[in-house]
Amino acid sequence: MTDAEKKIGGAGWFQRLLDGRWSHIAVPVFCVLLSLLVSGVLLVVLGKDPFVGFYSFLQGSGLAPKGSYGGGSGIQSDFFTFLGYLAPMLLASLGFVVGFRAGLFNIGISGQMVASAFTATVLVGYSDLPAVLSKPLVIIIGAVVGALLGAFVGFLKYRFNVHEVVSTIMINYILNYIVGFFINMYFVNGLTRSSLPCSTDAALMIYNVQIGGISCTIPLGIFLAVALAFFLDWLFKRTVVGFELKAVGQNPKAAKYAGINVGKRLIQAMALSGALAGLAGVAYYCGYYTTIVPKTLPQMGYDCIAVALLGNGNPIGSIFASILVSVFQNGSNFMSSTLGVQKEIASLIVGIMLLFSACGGYFRFLAHRKVQRAEDSKIKAKAKAEAAAEGMTGEGEK
Amino acid sequence: MDTVFIDGLAFAAPLFIMAIGGIYSEKSGVTNLAVEGFQGFGAFIGSLVAVILMPQMGSDNQMVIVVAMLASMIGGAVYSLLHAFLCVRFRANQVISGVVVNILAAALTTFFTSVANQALTGAASNKFVLGVSDQVTVPVLSQIPVLGWFFTDMYPYEWFIAVVAIAAWYLMYKTSFGMRLRACGENPQAVDATGGDVNKTRFISVVISGALCGIGGICYAYSISANFSPSIYMGFGYLAIAAMIFGNWNIPTTAAVCLVFGLARSGGYQLCLSMGLSSNYSDLFLMLPYVLTMILLVFFSGKNHPPKAAGVPYDASDR
Repeated sequence: MTDAEKKIGGAGWFQRLLDGRWSHIAVPVFCVLLSLLVSGVLLVVLGKDPFVGFYSFLQGSGLAPKGSYGGGSGIQSDFFTFLGYLAPMLLASLGFVVGFRAGLFNIGISGQMVASAFTATVLVGYSDLPAVLSKPLVIIIGAVVGALLGAFVGFLKYRFNVHEVVSTIMINYILNYIVGFFINMYFVNGLTRSSLPCSTDAALMIYNVQIGGISCTIPLGIFLAVALAFFLDWLFKRTVVGFELKAVGQNPKAAKYAGINVGKRLIQAMALSGALAGLAGVAYYCGYYTTIVPKTLPQMGYDCIAVALLGNGNPIGSIFASILVSVFQNGSNFMSSTLGVQKEIASLIVGIMLLFSACGGYFRFLAHRKVQRAEDSKIKAKAKAEAAAEGMTGEGEK
Repeated sequence: MDTVFIDGLAFAAPLFIMAIGGIYSEKSGVTNLAVEGFQGFGAFIGSLVAVILMPQMGSDNQMVIVVAMLASMIGGAVYSLLHAFLCVRFRANQVISGVVVNILAAALTTFFTSVANQALTGAASNKFVLGVSDQVTVPVLSQIPVLGWFFTDMYPYEWFIAVVAIAAWYLMYKTSFGMRLRACGENPQAVDATGGDVNKTRFISVVISGALCGIGGICYAYSISANFSPSIYMGFGYLAIAAMIFGNWNIPTTAAVCLVFGLARSGGYQLCLSMGLSSNYSDLFLMLPYVLTMILLVFFSGKNHPPKAAGVPYDASDR
């Protein structure tokens, strides 16, 4: 290798990493690092130590030991609370991923979450069914309500060409008002102004499990969420349904030409997306909280978009991305108490991540262009050297 | 009936200016779902300026509102640079970019409202209290039947919006810049071939869009909510987008649609009051504009003609 070639290769290693076969991991990691850098600078501007800040997010999520614990709590209980938050986050982001793969933007996840959790709470959570019956029922009702809402959006999109972003957002507000109305009229807890809590039998949690001498609440949603992530990965990689969904997402016209029933697949994709959002709803409102605050859409319905984009629209990637985003959102209370920064900064950090992950395609494009240019100049240099060599021999023959 | 119309107009005017913002961006070929974020950020900057100025100039000084409106225009325009860069320069997916811009706006403004409140007043609150703009009745004109409604209990901003709207219409349909802008949304290659700069035109259009949406945001902050808080993200930006779609990307038609939305909202509210229902029921009536939007979307989405090149980043080597 000549000096000149080394120079081009050396200058391009980073671009090569972003462009090469590891690009699906390298680009999101690069985006995350960039957003952590920007958030760190923000913390410095606010006069705080960014390392203490980021560490306190981890401490708040039970991933690093805190200095001191209150009575009856420990790193274990913090960790299970974190898992309780992670479960709906992962489910919601899987919901977005399914729509995203089929070319649909399901912005209505927060509305679907509230509606399905409300239905499940009212139908099962307020009854006195035994746990064996009520827990599966909550899950089924959540999935069915979400699926119906999603399918409705898919139907509007296919039959009437209603843009799903606008329709899902309109449905969000409609559901928000309807659920708010019913909670305020019939199911309100006069003191806290939120809905009456759903019964411990119906809640998707196992209470008072002793681990290391501390009683923890184990969320059940997390098992479902991780299992579904692997199921979806299999669905997209190995099945006809997954293949056709991806085809519809990439080019609906080509998919139609190839004989795929585009309308059916669109509605299926939205139904599956909605079902996952519904599961996220019950995991959030019946498995993390037990009550619903009326007329407040969960922030998670939007955070999950950041998760899905960070995870490259991949179900397995979503697991890692949702851990990252959950650390920030779940750890924000503890961070706020140690650092004295408003906890809304967590949403801001997630927003910054979202911004950079939206630019991910551009970073990849830049890297690709740079690598291409380096390769081109290498070929040119080689050709030039060969031409020069030929020219010399040619002259010699003359 | 008078109140229905007056309230309806007060709601429709900011919606209309935001819809024009959306039209500007989409007519130039950049899909704009970021209206919600633009209006929120514009309102944030406007309210921040107002909160800083109010102690010096007196809290009922109407000049504060004028300055706040200008500030919100600038704020919206500056924030829209983000969408413009993402869509035009970085060639990001325009729908994703719109959603990202909205989420980031909500996070940014919520956080910095608390920070600014702590710095200004020492109290941790996520609200800038603004008060309500004065309402003006023009003496003689308000006596004319029907037409008089346009001159009774008007917020001054409604006239300002009317003027801006007419100017925006003129710019889009009667000037060469406007023609180029519309051409960028229909056939950008043709614009390039005739020596126009597609990306520059789109960039300018998105920034105009941001400025117009900023006006809409501060108007809501000064009328309906009387403060700036995260509740500014009530989905009015999306209502504006829906109005733009029924209005078929046409400014006069969109004005009519916005008026219908405004009347549906205030009419529903008055109906709720006149039926003597408890305040809980008002939620059901506040839902009306959104339901109406859904129904109208079903009927009109299939038939209308969005700008042909909207949503596609310009690539000079395409045919």
